[in-house]
Amino acid sequence: MYHLAGQLVRRVLQGLVVVLITTFLIFSILRIVPGDPVRLIVGGMAPDNLVEEIAEKMGLRDPIPVQFGRYLLEIAQGDLGNSYQRPKNGMMGQGGDFNANMDVEMAEVSDLIFDTLPYTLQLAGLALLISLIVSFPLGISAGLKPKGIMSKIAFFISSVFVSIPNFWLGIVLALFLTIKLGLLPSIGYQNFAYTILPAIVLAVETCPFIIRTISVSFAEISQEYFIKSGKVRGLTRNGVIYRHTLRNASIPLLNLLGIQLSTLLGGVIVVEYIFDYPGLGQLTIYAVLQRDFPLIQGIAMVTSALYVGLNIAVDLITYSIDPRLES
Amino acid sequence: MSKDLSISKKIFYDSWQNIFFKFSVFFFIFICLLAFFYPEISSIKAEKMNIKSKFLPPIFFEGFTWRHILGTDQLGRDMLMRCLVGLRYSLIIGFTSVFIMLLFGCLVGIISGFKSSWIDVIIMRITDAQLSIPMVILAISILGVSRPNLASIILVLALSGWPLYARVSRSMALIERDKEYIRGARILGASDFRIIFFLVIPIILPPIAFVSVLDIARMMIFEAILGFLGLGVQPPTPTFGNVIADSRKYIMNAWWIATMPGVFLVITLVTINYIGSTLEKSKNKFFGEGV
Amino acid sequence: MSSLLSVENLSLKDLSTGNDVLKNISFQLNEKEILGVVGESGSGKTLLSQAIVNWLPENLEISSGEINFLDKKINLLSESELEKEIRGKEIAYIGPNAINSLDPTYSVGHQLLEKAISIDRDNTSKNILKEKVISLLDDVLIPSPEKRFYEYPSQYSGGMMQRAMIVDALLSSPKLLVADNITMPLDVTIGAQIIKLIRILREKFNTTIIFSSSSLPVVREIAENLIILKNGSIEENNSVNKIITNPSSEYTKELINKTPKIWSENIVFQENENKTIISIRNISKSYKVRDKNKFNSFYDVKAVRDFSIDVYEGENLGIIGESGCGKSTLSRLISLLEKSDSGTISFNGEDLTDLNKNKIKNFRQSLQLILQDPYNSLPSRQTIGRIISEGLFIHSNLNKKEIKEKVLFTMEEVGLDKEEYNKLLVGKSGGFRQRVSIARALILEPKVIILDETLSSLDQNEQNKLLSLFKQIQQKRNLTYIFISHDLAMVRKSCNRIAVMYMGRTVELAKNDTLFNNCRHPYTRTLLCTIPTLDKNPYDKKLYLMDGEPPDPTEVGKGCSFNTRCPNPTHECKEGSIEMGLIEIAPGHLVDQCCVNCG
Repeated sequence: MYHLAGQLVRRVLQGLVVVLITTFLIFSILRIVPGDPVRLIVGGMAPDNLVEEIAEKMGLRDPIPVQFGRYLLEIAQGDLGNSYQRPKNGMMGQGGDFNANMDVEMAEVSDLIFDTLPYTLQLAGLALLISLIVSFPLGISAGLKPKGIMSKIAFFISSVFVSIPNFWLGIVLALFLTIKLGLLPSIGYQNFAYTILPAIVLAVETCPFIIRTISVSFAEISQEYFIKSGKVRGLTRNGVIYRHTLRNASIPLLNLLGIQLSTLLGGVIVVEYIFDYPGLGQLTIYAVLQRDFPLIQGIAMVTSALYVGLNIAVDLITYSIDPRLES
Repeated sequence: MSKDLSISKKIFYDSWQNIFFKFSVFFFIFICLLAFFYPEISSIKAEKMNIKSKFLPPIFFEGFTWRHILGTDQLGRDMLMRCLVGLRYSLIIGFTSVFIMLLFGCLVGIISGFKSSWIDVIIMRITDAQLSIPMVILAISILGVSRPNLASIILVLALSGWPLYARVSRSMALIERDKEYIRGARILGASDFRIIFFLVIPIILPPIAFVSVLDIARMMIFEAILGFLGLGVQPPTPTFGNVIADSRKYIMNAWWIATMPGVFLVITLVTINYIGSTLEKSKNKFFGEGV
Repeated sequence: MSSLLSVENLSLKDLSTGNDVLKNISFQLNEKEILGVVGESGSGKTLLSQAIVNWLPENLEISSGEINFLDKKINLLSESELEKEIRGKEIAYIGPNAINSLDPTYSVGHQLLEKAISIDRDNTSKNILKEKVISLLDDVLIPSPEKRFYEYPSQYSGGMMQRAMIVDALLSSPKLLVADNITMPLDVTIGAQIIKLIRILREKFNTTIIFSSSSLPVVREIAENLIILKNGSIEENNSVNKIITNPSSEYTKELINKTPKIWSENIVFQENENKTIISIRNISKSYKVRDKNKFNSFYDVKAVRDFSIDVYEGENLGIIGESGCGKSTLSRLISLLEKSDSGTISFNGEDLTDLNKNKIKNFRQSLQLILQDPYNSLPSRQTIGRIISEGLFIHSNLNKKEIKEKVLFTMEEVGLDKEEYNKLLVGKSGGFRQRVSIARALILEPKVIILDETLSSLDQNEQNKLLSLFKQIQQKRNLTYIFISHDLAMVRKSCNRIAVMYMGRTVELAKNDTLFNNCRHPYTRTLLCTIPTLDKNPYDKKLYLMDGEPPDPTEVGKGCSFNTRCPNPTHECKEGSIEMGLIEIAPGHLVDQCCVNCG
């Protein structure tokens, strides 16, 4: 099937452009906004000329396009760079020592990222699973009977969930389930159980959007002529719902999931921060707070590529369901 | 009868039929008035520290006083007042950022969708790229450097939200572009500018504006998150975020310092979200689900 | 012969208004009979059809009476009994919305098979059922049915989807087939083919049919007995011929009068001097559609190919064609909404081909276009006065007062009350809105007005009123009209010269009388033989109704695009090497070259 392959190639190329733009945006923002990483490396007491010298050596005083070009070259060779702040042996840099950091070998960005990524994927996966289990029944029954009681319940639950700040929920849940009731662990990670609480918080954040999308699309599609005429053609009611309504309704849902990824990512960052969960989100926060350029850039690229890749997958799946859709 | 009203009036009138909607609107107005005026007229001040009355629990819990309905924090400051002041900032930041992202995003989106040249392609790639950066990252990168102030916070939030409005208004513009009345206007000789400003924008903007109410609540949560991470309005001004962040230390003995602001915020947000969702439902009745 | 369906005193009530939408309907239907149901829109014919299959919307309910089908009272059956035995099985329904009747995300064949499996009670194997579907697709004359089985609804034309839905209905070998207004959305020639098909299928499958339509001539083609509905009650119930030759009710007499008289009346048109006002030479327009089978290539869809015509001042020129012939593209090209790929258009001698923006804007004052859809072609949020003034805001330097004066004057001219100046369009009828469109165009004082399917969405009454308005304005202002339409009856009444378009080209051009009485091109003959009229049609369907549909516009090569359906194609025609072009076979009568010799 030539055209699917053609589509794929086109989308991948477009995706690469997006990743490039994103990386460049982050790259530039970091270097434009005030906040010198070298300062953070050598400490506030270091003399200015030393700071300048080190910055020169690190190539941070060259014009931005030049720096970006160099960066791209390194990427092409598979090297995402080394962290500014984290040494290989895992201990955090002291940040006050003028000379030391230039000799200690710094952790490779790719290692740091791919070590923490699995934890985050596990968290996101569990959160998504919980959301879908809760949202599907609510959304479908709300969609099929827009004036029924399930619809009102779904509407109510959505409204409440979407009004809860995730960090506050995390604190309250930790207060109840960990401190007062001792049911689930909160801080850090020692086994899978540590994923549950953060996943619940994330799930609460995403449920409203999923419920809303499902109920709206089910309600809409049920009004389509081809769904209504299933009855007069002799198809069973359940047959129509499962073989036709569900199939058509899954398309807007998949599209939503594609777009929601970055919102999910934002939530992951906050949630990992609160629960001290050793995932990519936590890595990101510390990287940004410490102006660890290579690490930030690496993370930005990886997440951007994930986002693009996911959206391409979504597009291909929706295309295989409904062949009328083309970018 | 409702046929003769303009679109905005139609949507609002329809929502107004719902009794909970009416209630939410009045409640919301009440809260706003409370937040902006009560701390000014009350004798209790949000910043006033009174070590003698520190760690007082909220009403109906052991040891409460009626003077401090929601209790006091570690420095004896009244929780209710702190919540109200925090609410002021939340509301201001929420409304302003949404207003900016709505206007900017829609303007860019409509023009981009309507003209559809290479500019359109570039703008779409930019929104794509921006959509893939979570707001938090954007915020930390920009705000994490200097002392965040009201303007920069609003700007960061608006920056994180405009791509969605650009996207949505663009797809609506694409649909409108092929409609007959646009062709009718072109036949008369109307220029693109005329068509966009007199025909397309009045049709696209109102429904999107109604749905943007939901984003006000979303931005208020973001503002709280920023405050929590230390990137919001700085202490001693109390905001939901920094109050809750502070309170983590005392969570074992004085759990209300962490929970009460949250409850306050949640109630306000539920009200706003209910108003927004009801408006959205009404909009969908007349417009379909395009947004 | 036993009665298959017997409806007794059936009344249908609308629960939201409390009114009866069907009142006391009674009739009998015998086996193998075809009953026609004729009524204007709103008469209740669709509701009657839906009531018989028990597919009514929520707000409608049978308030009294019975429907007896084979001695079962089906209006009393429960939902599950209906689902198991009746709907889609013993009684089948096909409606006017065939294009949207199937799920766009599955192939057509898959869904027909799905229905076959769903109604099958003998556990027949899937393959046997699939064979049955394919053989039925063949029966309804869908070409290459084994291939088309796997295609999606979006790849089927309107006519083909209607045939597919007929297959869907026949899968259960139903005793009763309810055909509700099935030819309405189709081109007249395709509709005629469907009717011919239904007659054949009735013989083959022994089905009883109820055929409803708003067009009396159409129903006459197929039905033996006829019911005429007016406002929910039966006006007449008799055999078709008796009703037409000897109608008993006033309403029926009026209805018969309203059907277009094509050949029984002769319209005399004023002879004009032939001064050319618009000259179109060899314009073409192609659109690029992505080729799904290759990576980065595109098809050329030639919407308009090598089109030439002269428009004479003061005349009414009609351009006739069915869907897909390119007439909408043509109207956009002539009105300069789009630029043609090649060729020239001149207006009053001035070449319009490479004008800059300003000159085009000025040109708009001379040529205006009135669109088809009265509901969507006007901005819904502006007052009527504002809508009409728009042109003056754009082009003139008049002040507000002068503009208002002009607007009120024009409103009067088109028959709009002055009081409507400040009102909105909500709730106004289609005819009213078209008058607003006309006023909007007239205010610029154009010399030529193109009417692109302008009357197509209006009912017969409104059409007639507007046509006489057009005549009035034309005499006052010395206007030239170009009517673009698919409605031959309307064109017969109003145009003095008519051009027939097929696949982007003119195939025949003649004066009104000549075309209707003496045309040469086989396509024109097909169009004429299918005009719904009660007159005696000089073109016999048996001789002239073509099979097949217009070819896929992406697959048309060089040469004559008509060769796939032409009754007399020569070797060169099929090769594509024949020379195209119009030849004058008599003064003012032009026809494709190849037809000259065919006769």
